[in-house]
Amino acid sequence: MQEEKIRKTIEKWVKLEKEAKELRRSMADWVFINSQPPRIREALKYYIETGDIRRSCTLAGKSIEEFRELLRKARIPVVV
Amino acid sequence: MLREFAIADTCFLIDWARFRRRDIIFKVFRTVFIPESVIREVVSENTISWISKWLAKRGLSLYTESADELEEARLLVVRTRRIPQIIPVDVPEALCLVVGRKYGYVVLTENRGAIMATEVIEELSNVKVWRSLELLVEAVKSGVLKVDCDNPEKVFREYMEDTLHIFPRNDYSKAVAEVVRICKKRR
Repeated sequence: MQEEKIRKTIEKWVKLEKEAKELRRSMADWVFINSQPPRIREALKYYIETGDIRRSCTLAGKSIEEFRELLRKARIPVVV
Repeated sequence: MLREFAIADTCFLIDWARFRRRDIIFKVFRTVFIPESVIREVVSENTISWISKWLAKRGLSLYTESADELEEARLLVVRTRRIPQIIPVDVPEALCLVVGRKYGYVVLTENRGAIMATEVIEELSNVKVWRSLELLVEAVKSGVLKVDCDNPEKVFREYMEDTLHIFPRNDYSKAVAEVVRICKKRR
């Protein structure tokens, strides 16, 4: 019963994440992203792919709030 | 009706602090706790000045985590990382879940891992987790946030404009439908 609930929850989140990734990709300002230094650029791309802000911050070497500001500049939405 | 307490994590606070109607949160909750680990993650002048103003006014209150709570949060982090299909949580969000469960506080978060954890981990199933979307709906429901019933999406659009935060399509439609229902009831 519990396994079935977990399976359904995971399915729901996979769908949500698919929708979120499409939005992040389509709304992103790729000119801005590609003009960034490598560390920032790759962290922004990682965020677009995964939506994982904490790992992205670590990659970028930024605090969570600084990285959130970078996401806004890159027009990458947070979809939650 | 004013709710008692909530506890907020970093992802929630840094977006909410940019919202033009951010102070309505203190009409929904008597006190919003912020763990010390969350305060340490805040760096912008806008967020820090909003937090310090409301710490002084006692709408916000600092939450000093105990060693036991921190340990429980760490175990939760490990647990979410052991289940490959679920989105892992990190210590600051896990701590909010632990405290939310312990005291019955509403957990304010925009962290997908934290929301998912309450749906997958049995011991967290009673934790009430709200995103900004649920908070906005609650504010409308309780009359704290006045809505333009000719434009029921306006309140959500304002939030999305101020923060560049987008709500998932289904949840957004449900929230707008709820506002429409409230408007019809009040007419």
